[in-house]
Amino acid sequence: MPIKALSNVWNFALNAWLSKRFPDTREITLDIQRIFVIPTRLSAALLFAVLVLGLMAINFQNSLIYGLSFWLLALIVIAIFFTYRNLAGLTIRAIQSQPCFAGEKAVFELEVRCPDNQTKTAISIGWPFQDVETVTLRHQHSVHIKLSHSTRQRGRFKAPRLTLFTVYPIGLVVAWSYAALNLESIVYPAPRLQDNADHQQNADDHAMHGAESADGSTDFAGVRDYRSGDSPRKIHWAAYAKTGDLYSKTFVDYASDERWLDWDALPIAGVEAKLSHLCAKVLEYHRLHYQYGLKLPGTLIKPQHGDAHKTTCLTALALFGEHR
Amino acid sequence: MFIKGFPQDKQITYAGMLWLLAAQLSVMSPLAFYLPVWLIPVLLISAAWRIRVMKGRTEQPGIVVIGALGFCGIAGLLASGIALVSLDMMASLLMLGFAYKAIEVIQRRDGIVVVLTGYLLVGVLFLYSQSILTAMYGVFAMTMLSGALIAIQQSAQQSIGSNLKLSAIMLLLCLPLMLVLFVFAPRFAPLWTLPLHSNHARTGISDQMTPGDIANLSQSEGLAFSVKFNRARPDQNQLYWRGMVLNYFDGNTWSQFQEELDPDVEKKTLQTSFSNIADRLDKRGEGIEYDIIYEASGQSWLFALAPVVSLQGEALYGRNFNIIAKHDVREPMMLKLISYPDSRRDVALADMLHQQALQLPPDGNAASRELAVRLFKTSSSPQDFIDSILNRYRQDAFYYTLRPPLLDPQHSIDDFLLNSKKGFCAHYAGSFVFLMRAAGIPARVVIGYQGGEWNNNGEFLAVHHYDAHAWAEVLLKNRGWVRIDPTSMVAPQRVEQNLQAAVQEEGSFLEAKIFSMTRNQWLNGVRKQLDSVQYRWRRYVLGYDTRQQAAFLKRLLGEVSVGHIAIVVGTLFTVIILIWGIVLGLFRKQPREAIEHRLYRRFCQILQKKGIKRLPSQTPQQFCRIATAQLPAFNQDITKFTETYSTLCYQPDRVSYQQQIDIMKRLLSKIRKQR
Repeated sequence: MPIKALSNVWNFALNAWLSKRFPDTREITLDIQRIFVIPTRLSAALLFAVLVLGLMAINFQNSLIYGLSFWLLALIVIAIFFTYRNLAGLTIRAIQSQPCFAGEKAVFELEVRCPDNQTKTAISIGWPFQDVETVTLRHQHSVHIKLSHSTRQRGRFKAPRLTLFTVYPIGLVVAWSYAALNLESIVYPAPRLQDNADHQQNADDHAMHGAESADGSTDFAGVRDYRSGDSPRKIHWAAYAKTGDLYSKTFVDYASDERWLDWDALPIAGVEAKLSHLCAKVLEYHRLHYQYGLKLPGTLIKPQHGDAHKTTCLTALALFGEHR
Repeated sequence: MFIKGFPQDKQITYAGMLWLLAAQLSVMSPLAFYLPVWLIPVLLISAAWRIRVMKGRTEQPGIVVIGALGFCGIAGLLASGIALVSLDMMASLLMLGFAYKAIEVIQRRDGIVVVLTGYLLVGVLFLYSQSILTAMYGVFAMTMLSGALIAIQQSAQQSIGSNLKLSAIMLLLCLPLMLVLFVFAPRFAPLWTLPLHSNHARTGISDQMTPGDIANLSQSEGLAFSVKFNRARPDQNQLYWRGMVLNYFDGNTWSQFQEELDPDVEKKTLQTSFSNIADRLDKRGEGIEYDIIYEASGQSWLFALAPVVSLQGEALYGRNFNIIAKHDVREPMMLKLISYPDSRRDVALADMLHQQALQLPPDGNAASRELAVRLFKTSSSPQDFIDSILNRYRQDAFYYTLRPPLLDPQHSIDDFLLNSKKGFCAHYAGSFVFLMRAAGIPARVVIGYQGGEWNNNGEFLAVHHYDAHAWAEVLLKNRGWVRIDPTSMVAPQRVEQNLQAAVQEEGSFLEAKIFSMTRNQWLNGVRKQLDSVQYRWRRYVLGYDTRQQAAFLKRLLGEVSVGHIAIVVGTLFTVIILIWGIVLGLFRKQPREAIEHRLYRRFCQILQKKGIKRLPSQTPQQFCRIATAQLPAFNQDITKFTETYSTLCYQPDRVSYQQQIDIMKRLLSKIRKQR
């Protein structure tokens, strides 16, 4: 337990130091201040072989074996330089991000490029326990890659520092660096319909639908019994002539297809549950090509339709409560 | 997994697999000269098996099959007659495992084991041979292994050429660092000793002399040892490289007495100290200091100018003023020696040795015995007797030849002295000692080498097997053992020049060799060059041990101290790293921002410390407005700074550029200092 606590303290301090050392930017070029180099376990194994060779050299007083062991030692040293060189000068830039729903993976597009006349081989870029891409730049100057990172909750998802590392060429040494890019993506709430709420909401929809249609005047919708107060212009005279009963024609407006998703009208407990439900509804209405508006405390989005509108609504849901 | 959280591809690609096999084959091939050859087919079959498995044609062998294969392999090694506890066995087992590993290399980890074992086997190869060619081959094998190490880590296939090139470049760049370590890293004395080789061939002079032996040896142009004199080189005719003393004659063959015969037994009684023979020596004259590098002979006998008074190296002082290696010479060995050839040895000889030096077989060679007695009676002194015998060799029709007729084995001395009169050093030395002993003068045969070939390139003396020689030592009153070479009476060229000159007419020099570089004049020049290269290799590379290192560092640095060495090594490391940086292009300047942008960034940082953060979306003008509103005290400076920056960005004017930069700098420092 104390060790765990200690390692937490250490991780915290390390992260604080790293974020101070590598502040967020859109673009990062890896240079000597950013690259760390450390021998791998293969180096340790090679060192063991060198030790055995060294014992052979000493016991048999053999100059050539001395030479061989020194050469292998030198190989480890030069591997540091080669591996460092493979990473140095690499530039990584954030291009764009794709939003996602909570629990899914946010996708980030990045550009990786290297200076002219240089090659970069087998450089892995990614997050630990997440997505990793391996990039090789040989004849081309730059390449675009897509990396995904899992998300848990809605809101603004800020991707952690990217890790870039390479063991090329010989695997004796790993050179790595962190890139704290401004990688941000909007995470929408996970869409989840609440059954009971849906029923209510549907009733609500209908109510709204009726109220709206009564005011309609443009498109003919049907015929119903006359009620007192109906405009004489809407009386179906032809029917009256046939049957002798009064019927009224009904009309609907385009606006009568408008549906409102109203936060306050939702009989659901819990902010996130409400948001998830609204999110599901937005998707549903979008799919059905409805016009819909969104009412959130402090936010009102007028009824619209289309992809941009959907994005606006989902973003509003994602960022709900952010500024308070 | 190199970094936590990043999985690593564990499989070796097909190309990586082929690489590994090529590297294995290149490591094992030269070892087949020293270890059972059938290990190579074992590797090839294992490899073929593995490739079939990779192509899906065969199943991966189960543990039973692998166990059975391992058992057969070890049984095979034992059946090959390798001693159970020996280096050969260790090396063979390593090779066997190395070969079998080819069957089950699947993962990267297996590949790494193979490569690291390969490096060890290159080391093992150097135990068996240390020639320049072997070393060059070792470099090749190392390049292959490193190439394989690169190849097995690649997920995507790359061309074989690029891997090999990369590996070669890396090793080449390592070379200077390796050399610095080689020269400066401390050398240690062996921690424990291990038996090196279990069986081996012996070359060079054998420890007995039947007349045919030296004749055979004189047909060999191999190098016996090479000598570097620290001061002037002694005359050619003084270069008697004394090896062993032969006291026992059975009527046909000269050999050592039984109790002297086994060098291993003798070594136990000998000491590393000179003191046990010091009282038998009357040191006189000038000392000759020299270094000798003995080629591997498989024997303990060493050759030096007698008597050796001081020696440094793995050798002992022998009873007869000879020197003996502590262990059989199985790889080139260097000694530093000081000899005093003018010294008198055994002026008062112990009785037992006296008796040994008079031994003769009870019968046979009656005519020679009678001749000796007759001549001795007419001589005034032992010296006079010796002179008269030598005169006989000179004036009688004795003939120096490498093609002597066969002699009667019962009476070989008689047959030679009175009938054939044709022979070479062994005949002359043997018959001379026989005559001395017959007359009652203690004498013995000495075998070794005489002369040598001076190499002007390397300033060293190369002594070859064809320089093998036999001569005599006679014990004279008050003078001790005196060297007498009867051959020089018959063929003075042999001693003044060399064997080739002595048998020029006969043309028998190296006649058994169909192709001899030594005989051809032009090729002989090439051979001398090669000799010289080899000598330097032996002396400066293979012979670089604790002593050589101390001497070399002293010559290099003047004074050897830890501080000195640290400074030199530190400087060399820095230089090497600079060279690496330049070669690898690590000092290439990264494209930098123009100075005005850097100053502006600094400006933003300073203002941020004062509490105003510039958002990425704000233009300099917007930021200026916000900043001046919040920090009225800086109003003028901030406005002016932003104006200058904008001017430089949008209306650059080369003429006033520096001026404006200066203004920006001045304003910046003002803003920074002001509270």
